[in-house]
Amino acid sequence: MIMTSVKLTPLARIELCAPPQPNMSSRMNSTTTKIPPDENELITKLMRGDDQAFRQLIAQHHSLMLSIARAIAGDTFADDVVQEAWVSVYKNIASFERRSSLKTWLLTIVSNQAKARLRKESRQVSLDQLDGEVPGSYLDGAHFKADGHWQQPIPQWNTESPEALLEERQLQCCINRTLNLLPPAQKAAFILRDIEQQSFDDICKILTVSATNVRVLVHRARLTLMQVIDRYQETGSC
Amino acid sequence: MLSCKQVAAVASDYLDNNTPLKWQIRLHLLMCANCRRFVRHLKITRDISAKIVGEDASVNTDVIWKNLQAQLKKEKLPDRE
Repeated sequence: MIMTSVKLTPLARIELCAPPQPNMSSRMNSTTTKIPPDENELITKLMRGDDQAFRQLIAQHHSLMLSIARAIAGDTFADDVVQEAWVSVYKNIASFERRSSLKTWLLTIVSNQAKARLRKESRQVSLDQLDGEVPGSYLDGAHFKADGHWQQPIPQWNTESPEALLEERQLQCCINRTLNLLPPAQKAAFILRDIEQQSFDDICKILTVSATNVRVLVHRARLTLMQVIDRYQETGSC
Repeated sequence: MLSCKQVAAVASDYLDNNTPLKWQIRLHLLMCANCRRFVRHLKITRDISAKIVGEDASVNTDVIWKNLQAQLKKEKLPDRE
């Protein structure tokens, strides 16, 4: 194969974006968002002060908020940050203006709370310190020859049907387990992008990393999960 | 022509339709079976992982709710109990 020089986006270090906005009520979008009827009903109940609705909100979003807090503030402060975020949500839900989805509003609150906590602790933590390259991953130089070609053939999979793979209970456990072992920033970026389907711009604002670095985090997470499937196809276990 | 290493580095951007190198990657994929398999496997990984939702079982809503109420009491806000 003939090689030409092509400038690629580097697997850059994770850079912090501009300083976070202290305003807790800042929105991801300034325009009105179309909110589904179910969510509208939940919001109405929450604004009326319905405790059951608030418990439902906690059950639906606590895990995701904890992932975001861990990615930004680290394990030590994450539980406190989310607790503080719930207090803020409780106090401010009556003035929720429906300019974004409820989830985006919650993520903005927990993100700002986590950034505020970092400032309070006077710690300048780059996501670099919370994340990192995984040795042995597909991006590891050991997988490639000096000319950039694969060192070994990519392993074949016995099953490539997504439907069939989704039937595999053991594989689901392996993927869930690996997801929980990912570095916090990778896990948060992956969940926000591939599970929650948030835009790269919104993820950048929530995690305070550049759009390029969000893409790098998501890519690394996918590659790690792909290796789980590689292993599962080869051995039938994690 | 892109190398396999370069294609592997931007494969997610390609799947997300988020790269100016789309045609160069396609050209490489036409000629490289390993990278075709790599990108196909990455796409399957992305698609099935998105459908697997986990870990919510660990949320203890009662404890979080009680902590919230306690915090509100501490701040002397009217609670709802």
